[in-house]
Amino acid sequence: MDAEAPLEDLVVAVAGGDRGALRALYQRQSVRLFGVAQAILRDRDAAADALQDAFLRVSQRAGQFDPARGEAGAWLAGIVRYAPLDIARRRGREMPTDDPALGDQAVEPEALERVAAAAEGRRLRECLDALEAKNRQGILLAFVHGLSHAQVAARLDLPLGTVKSWIRRGLLQLRECLT
Amino acid sequence: MTPAEEEREALAGEYVLGTLDARAAAEVERAMATDPALRAAVAAWEARLAPLAALAPPEAPPPDLWDRIEAALPGAPAAPAAAMRGGIARAGACRWWRGWALGASAIAAGLAALVVLRPPEPVPPPQLMTVLLSNQDQPAWLVQAERDGAIRLAALNAQPVPPDRVLQLWALPQGATAPTSLGLIPPEGRVTVTPAQIRPEPGMLIEISLEPPGGSPIGRPTGPILFIGRLAAAGGA
Repeated sequence: MDAEAPLEDLVVAVAGGDRGALRALYQRQSVRLFGVAQAILRDRDAAADALQDAFLRVSQRAGQFDPARGEAGAWLAGIVRYAPLDIARRRGREMPTDDPALGDQAVEPEALERVAAAAEGRRLRECLDALEAKNRQGILLAFVHGLSHAQVAARLDLPLGTVKSWIRRGLLQLRECLT
Repeated sequence: MTPAEEEREALAGEYVLGTLDARAAAEVERAMATDPALRAAVAAWEARLAPLAALAPPEAPPPDLWDRIEAALPGAPAAPAAAMRGGIARAGACRWWRGWALGASAIAAGLAALVVLRPPEPVPPPQLMTVLLSNQDQPAWLVQAERDGAIRLAALNAQPVPPDRVLQLWALPQGATAPTSLGLIPPEGRVTVTPAQIRPEPGMLIEISLEPPGGSPIGRPTGPILFIGRLAAAGGA
């Protein structure tokens, strides 16, 4: 398998047991995906453990990837997030939410521009803009930094129950908007 | 949507978002095994939210991570030490570090004795020094700190660096929580730096790590620490 091949072809080759294709996927995607894990864990050793788990999952589940249903980069990021989220949950998510490195850059307008840079992100960006600000912030903090409901509540200084119902409502609004 | 469908959508969305606690997330995973509609809802949420991954700043993983992954793949040869999961591997690294530091101090003491025995020095001896050892316990780098705060590094036994990597020099004062970069080591292996923020002192750790071109992008070592030693007072200083 040619290491320069489209990501979709590499994932299909991984499903067929091609270890070289998995290595090529790692070489091309690990900097982006390690960033995803590190944003959730903020601990390089733990993020490395997470990315290791994630690539083992990728090798096991590559057969479930359906190129007709979406692009491979999105599929990879979808799978990879579960590993750091599991680690964060096992730790009880004790990471302090007042960490100054945490969160604010995820909701800056320039950062949201990065979401819209990809074609499939443009519509998501518009739908996020349509949400109430704290609602949007809660969803972004949870996605990017793996914050629990309680941590989002502490971070946004809102009651836990309010955060739970806002996130739920925000998700359903997003789904409606993206349909 | 019926209330049941709405509940399924919200649950799938929260599962993908990551806000469910461990027990609820495990329940969703169990239910997905037998519930194709829930599975489809989760896949749809993964696709919907995937563009948000662009919000995380990219960051280079540790250079040895691919080797660990490959060793952990099914059918890989018996896991070498490098494939061990974080905690154990890190404990090993610590022992390895301590080994370096001890060896380096011993050699530094030996060199210090040489300095004492060889009279008279044309230049005043350095205030502090250490020798960093290779993994075959051969002296690899001589580090000397002068009274004016300059730190001089010289390769004793230069080894080639992989073409897509550079060596970066770091100092960790006692009590500091993170090392300070002293800059990249040029290919000829000699450099003198006078750091503005720190002063060389006995007990300060000197480290050399392997980094991507241009050095660590995050201000602390990202690659393996190849050499480490502790500055000690040179005899007679």
